[in-house]
Amino acid sequence: MFAVHESLLTYAKSRYLWISLALSVVSIVLYVWHDPGGVPNGGTWLGYTLGTVAALLIVWLMLFGIRKRSYSTTMGSTLGWLSAHVYLGTALILIALLHCGFQFGWNLHTLTLVLMLAVIFSGFFGVYTYLRYPTLMTRNRESATRDAMLEEISDIDQNALSLADGIAPEIHGVVLRSIENTRLGGGVWTQLRARDGSDIAISKVKAAIVHRETQIGAAPPAMQAGQTMFAMVDFLAGKADDKQSEALRKLIDMLSRKRNLASRVARDIQYQAIMEIWLYIHVPLSVTLLAALIGHIISVFFYW
Amino acid sequence: MRWLIRRVLKKSASSLSYEDDIHFGEVLTIGRAADQAIFLPDLRAALNHASITAVGKNKYKVESLIVAGIRVNGEITYSITVGHGAVVELGSTRLTLVDLQGDFDAAVEVSTIDKSEQAAIVSKRKKPTSLSQTWISKRWPSWLGFFLVLGFGLLVPAATHIVPGLNKILRYSPLPSTTFWNPGEIDSAHRFFANDCTRCHKNAFLMVRDNACTSCHTSTKAHADPVKFNIPALGDARCGSCHQDHNGDRGMISKDQRLCADCHADLKTRTKGASVVADVSDFGSSHPQFHVNLPGWSADNTFTPKSMLWSSALKENSGLKFNHLKHLDPKGLNTPDGRKNLECSNCHQPDAGGSAMKPIAFETMCHECHKLGFDTLAPDREVPHADVAAVSYTLNEFYANRGLEGGYADARAPTVVQERRRPGSPPLSREERVEALAWARDRSEQAAKTVFTGKACVTCHSVNAPSAANNVWQIAPVRVSGIWYSKAKFNHAKHQTSTCLDCHGGAPKSEASNDLLIPGIENCRECHAGAHAKDKVASTCIACHGYHTSPLVTLDKKTRKSP
Repeated sequence: MFAVHESLLTYAKSRYLWISLALSVVSIVLYVWHDPGGVPNGGTWLGYTLGTVAALLIVWLMLFGIRKRSYSTTMGSTLGWLSAHVYLGTALILIALLHCGFQFGWNLHTLTLVLMLAVIFSGFFGVYTYLRYPTLMTRNRESATRDAMLEEISDIDQNALSLADGIAPEIHGVVLRSIENTRLGGGVWTQLRARDGSDIAISKVKAAIVHRETQIGAAPPAMQAGQTMFAMVDFLAGKADDKQSEALRKLIDMLSRKRNLASRVARDIQYQAIMEIWLYIHVPLSVTLLAALIGHIISVFFYW
Repeated sequence: MRWLIRRVLKKSASSLSYEDDIHFGEVLTIGRAADQAIFLPDLRAALNHASITAVGKNKYKVESLIVAGIRVNGEITYSITVGHGAVVELGSTRLTLVDLQGDFDAAVEVSTIDKSEQAAIVSKRKKPTSLSQTWISKRWPSWLGFFLVLGFGLLVPAATHIVPGLNKILRYSPLPSTTFWNPGEIDSAHRFFANDCTRCHKNAFLMVRDNACTSCHTSTKAHADPVKFNIPALGDARCGSCHQDHNGDRGMISKDQRLCADCHADLKTRTKGASVVADVSDFGSSHPQFHVNLPGWSADNTFTPKSMLWSSALKENSGLKFNHLKHLDPKGLNTPDGRKNLECSNCHQPDAGGSAMKPIAFETMCHECHKLGFDTLAPDREVPHADVAAVSYTLNEFYANRGLEGGYADARAPTVVQERRRPGSPPLSREERVEALAWARDRSEQAAKTVFTGKACVTCHSVNAPSAANNVWQIAPVRVSGIWYSKAKFNHAKHQTSTCLDCHGGAPKSEASNDLLIPGIENCRECHAGAHAKDKVASTCIACHGYHTSPLVTLDKKTRKSP
């Protein structure tokens, strides 16, 4: 996603790392120097100060969601904002803990803190994926695009079908089934686990076979993953003539290529899904955090 | 059995025509082979791909004959029983099982799916390839989370402040009430109403008012009179400035010395000279020398202790004569029970609270050695202690009795007094009684003089002879201060790790009772220093001082009746 020499962590010579470190050091020094006259808590002047800083930071960090979508802006690059978002978001953990003076309880205030930590730690996962997966994705695609791979799969399907038809009706049947079984993409879980959907298709087929067995009494051959290949090799060993053997070999090559493409597409979908899935936690939790923050601030002054 | 096979032919975009065909037999075969009832010249169909069997009126069984299965009503299946209206799709052909018309046993409509429709179907059947195409969403969980937390975290608890009784309902429900806002455990003394926030937080968005505290804590003394000391700021000081709840077992009493030092560091300036209290900000580094309460008496002999700045040269006047050195002689003292070494604790015993010392009591502490006898012929008889009048009449009664009874073996006494009365002796004559009582009066006066000035009273007390006006011996009043530091609390019980001499080191060498044996600030500072002490006991103001000490003003703003 971003070139190695200028990642979100090293943007502008890690400018925001230093800013965040400075902010953290200042906070720690103030916390140590400050005598709250009791136990440290959010109600001292330092508590209010750190709380205000933390609340403003949270609001500003959430503005990143808006900044990300506005393409015509003069307020710095998205990469710069992201770098600041990550570093200042990390510093927020410390500032919020110092704000509360490490006091926790079963209340709205600690809920706010927990939500904030959940948002930040889900963000850490996001940083990890942003640093790791773009490279993996590029390597997996082998400089093709997903659409190109899908188009190739579709072409192979057409060719394989006509080739299989020239061999034998059984072969045509298995190829047809193989096409039917190739499912790229799927539900959230399927995408994340890099399944090409054949498992789902196979289990459906199995269920259907069991159903049919009980109805007809005739047991069809057992279905297993990769069975397309075995079926063809069986055929090759048994009753094929030379011409058929030749065509079958070609067909097997073709289907191997397809299999390879399909698993790469599935992986591509997986990488993309992993890079996106954390946002489905990060974003809703941060909006929930905003509500908790509003509740926290208002309730504190409601019963001052 | 007769099947109606109706082929739908599309002539143009808007017009269709039908071509009916009849098929005989139970089963309608579908495939790419030439012998199929419905022949499909399409590579996506197998030679014998599927069959449809009419199993009843408007009831069909669709079966796939190959492993690839067949799509019925959009789902790949191997065998399914359907009614009319079911759609079977195979490649570019769509078979619709139609409602029976005429005298056919079964009917199917065969139509072609055109290219654009095929493409639409394919894209519709495509599985999602990115998360944004799946059911998960960022938007609705965001709204859900936002409104759940805002509603149950803020709005519902806030509503309890407005709707009476709601808080009680919420407390017995799983829904959060205002206790969900509670930032920390309530102090143990307040815990019995901890669920009712409004007991203290009467007004929303206003800090807890003092009247919330004084509604229970009535008559709590104020610190000082804001009017007298020209410090309106004292009136602004809230109870909550020092007493913050929600600190659980840490309690509500703030020990922060800044709470005092904020004003007391320059109190004279603040009060525009109305206060005479010296400036103080830290016990270790900025605290004046102590003032001690020295015993004193006003003209009418009422005890009025005087507060004096401590100094090593200060003398006290308790009215008592006492020599510590003599009593604490390491060689011991002669007592009726033999030699005895006295210790501090023989005379100085803590009171029941352990804080101060009991007053010295003659009867239990001195009397063992200092007998108040007055007559060697009656060594067991003593005059009472402390009651001057009783001393005189005790002596008068004693000697009158001895004189009249006779048998008093003193050669200086008249015969009538010395004579022992025998049983059957005649009663004393009037002259004899007068003589005996005259002797008794003289003897009693003599004994009183000896007791007061010779050996008993004068040992410890200042004694003045009776004046001409009244015939009563004068004993100077005796009293130790009792409370030496009137503005501070000192507790002996808390200092049991120290010995007496650690603080009262001068005692064993003191020969005069007016030596002040109460230590000054330097003695305390050997162990104690201010809040930031590193190598001493960190002691803030309230370790020794109280805040609610105004003699006249209470926090509920009523002037107290008597100081």
